[in-house]
Amino acid sequence: MRSAKARPKHASRRHILAGGLATVALAIPNLARAARPVLFGLTPVFLDSDIQLIADLERYLSRHIGRPVQLVKRRTYQEITSLLVANQLDAAWICGFPFVQNREQLRLVAVPLYRQAPLYRAYIVTRAGREGDSIAALRGDIHAFSDPDSNSGFLATRSLLAGLRESPSTFFARTFFTFGHRNVIRAVASGLAHSGSVDGYVWDVMREIEPALVAGTRIRHVSDPMGFPPIAAARGVDPALRTAIRDALIGMPNDANGRTILGMLRLDGFVAGDPSLFDSIAEHWKRAQEFG
Amino acid sequence: MTAAFHPQRWPLAVRAPLTVALLMIGIAAAMSKVVLDRLARDQAQSFRQLTGAYLDGLSTALHSPVIRQEPWEAFDVLDRARHKYSGVNPRIVLVILPNDTVLAALDPATYPVGLSAPEKAREDRGEPDLAGPDGRVWVHRTLREGGKQIGRIAAEIDISNIQQVRRETFWTLLGVNGALTFLFAGLGWLVVHRTLRPLLRLSTYLARAGDGRLEPIPERKLPPPDTEAGKAYRRYNAAALAISEREALLHRLADQERRALIGRYASAIAHEVNNPLGGLFNAVRMIQRHGDDPERRDRAATLLERGLTGIRNIVRASLVVWRGDSEDRNLTSADIDDLRFLIESEAHRRDLALVWSNALGDDARVPAQAFRQLALNLALNACAASPPGTRVVFDVRSDVAAVFLSVSDEGPGLPDEARASLLASGGRDERSTTGLGLWIVSRILEENSATIDIHGPPGTAITIRIPHAEPGLQRAA
Repeated sequence: MRSAKARPKHASRRHILAGGLATVALAIPNLARAARPVLFGLTPVFLDSDIQLIADLERYLSRHIGRPVQLVKRRTYQEITSLLVANQLDAAWICGFPFVQNREQLRLVAVPLYRQAPLYRAYIVTRAGREGDSIAALRGDIHAFSDPDSNSGFLATRSLLAGLRESPSTFFARTFFTFGHRNVIRAVASGLAHSGSVDGYVWDVMREIEPALVAGTRIRHVSDPMGFPPIAAARGVDPALRTAIRDALIGMPNDANGRTILGMLRLDGFVAGDPSLFDSIAEHWKRAQEFG
Repeated sequence: MTAAFHPQRWPLAVRAPLTVALLMIGIAAAMSKVVLDRLARDQAQSFRQLTGAYLDGLSTALHSPVIRQEPWEAFDVLDRARHKYSGVNPRIVLVILPNDTVLAALDPATYPVGLSAPEKAREDRGEPDLAGPDGRVWVHRTLREGGKQIGRIAAEIDISNIQQVRRETFWTLLGVNGALTFLFAGLGWLVVHRTLRPLLRLSTYLARAGDGRLEPIPERKLPPPDTEAGKAYRRYNAAALAISEREALLHRLADQERRALIGRYASAIAHEVNNPLGGLFNAVRMIQRHGDDPERRDRAATLLERGLTGIRNIVRASLVVWRGDSEDRNLTSADIDDLRFLIESEAHRRDLALVWSNALGDDARVPAQAFRQLALNLALNACAASPPGTRVVFDVRSDVAAVFLSVSDEGPGLPDEARASLLASGGRDERSTTGLGLWIVSRILEENSATIDIHGPPGTAITIRIPHAEPGLQRAA
């Protein structure tokens, strides 16, 4: 069984493929690049199957940027991050952890406003009905993580365990990745995992959307606030395009379609944000690295 | 089984529908077995196809997660397939690694990752038994990569719906076939009852004939003449008419015979009276001529007395025989003695030696009139059949149970026809066309539950046994 530290082999292959495609793309003349659609990546957060939301977002961005926009989805965070870093995507909604990991190659475009703040929390959840509140009681669990590049779905718990001078492999009996926060909730609710690390925003929104599923879990631990997963652009992206994307996102509350999209996402809007929002995630990463 | 309850003694109206019912039950049982066997085969085939498709789909999707031993992906496959195979109703689905631990389960809370798989899930026992008592069966599929086993899928399938269909089919067959059996048995009873009704009616009329009442069936009750029943009824009526006419004829002949008999005895009496008359007249003349001679007068008086005594005896016997006793009194020894005068007279006339024996007890309970007719008929027949100079033996005895009458002669023997007439019950044998005297004997025998033995030739010896009537009862004379 793969450990939480391992990364999928096929993801590595995709990384190499993305790199190759990036080399080819760099050779294309500017005119030709201007004619192609804007490629906007989405990480598999809770909306991984919401076709209507994707279509609405694509339409909204196309209209406000003035160019066709194509949304790109991949199974893992790493795939989207790799494509973005390799300039195969113009921008992407990524997690704060990959943003911290690749801060030099990325430019912050905007940060969502959730409950009027560009912040969210990481939850550790257990099956509903399980007694106790301490993290120490989760020792020996089968634990579900979301993604190796997810802050709330992996890094935050690694950091928490590092504070206890533990790592996931020493603290838990077994861990696995579900590659989706919704899947973490499913794994815990079904009993496949005894506990799981999940995005607090996703858990809150899903409690409205799928109350029956979320009712099978309960929150065991809530982290401190951290920077909400941001929209980032590749360093090589035209600043004008980056600005256009930012303006389109920040202007969403002023547009009927934009408000509809925000309603579906249960977000209040977007702000330009500051990279320092993600300093706490960088701290988690640093602490986690110290204890493996 | 006692004889009374033997099926052969049951009425046809019961046997026929019962046979139909048994036949229907047999057919229904055979048909039900065929249907249920076919249903079981179809269900087994359908089950194999459905579970095969289910396991094929799972094994394809699980191949990669099992190679990588990914519990989440394996669970995700099981969970997503949960509602995609509507014909399959899995209760437990386990993905098992070669070390018999669970990689993923449809219900991971009950079968956690890493736990040993339950015993039943480990072993593939071949074709599942769809008639099992617990309504669940295990199916298995081995996952291979490059010829090497990488894991297994074991699923416990709920087959209660299959068994429910079987049960419903069984009860439906039972209900429908049972209803059809009752229906056909009822129809069979109706048809047989309707078919047999004319026969049963004819049987009723024939039963009355056994009681001596052979009545023709009224015209209004006759079925149409072109039907079998109509023909049978008409044949019965014709036979009843013929038998009634024969009975009437026999009665007329018997009456004539009785009159003839009376004539014969009147003649015999006249003869017996006439015999002493000559002597009486001689005695009278002797008195007229020699009345003065005391010796002759006394001798004449003696002759007169003897002759008159003989006449008196003849008359008295005739009175006894022919007075037609209407009272049902029992036979006495004196009745036998009275007969002797008549029979002796006939024997004397025919030059026969009569050997007479009367040993009748005092407590005989047989009707006197009937016995006298019987004895007189047999004795006179014996006299008639005996050549002159031979002997006729007349013997009457009795014991506690019966009265015995024996009459024997040295004649040529009783003709076969007369013998048959005597032996036939009630004298109704159609061959007895002669000897109405014997026919009367036969009737009397039957009326008094008497038995008869006939011996000879040479000669004829007839012995009749008449049982005493129950005390306090009198037989009809």
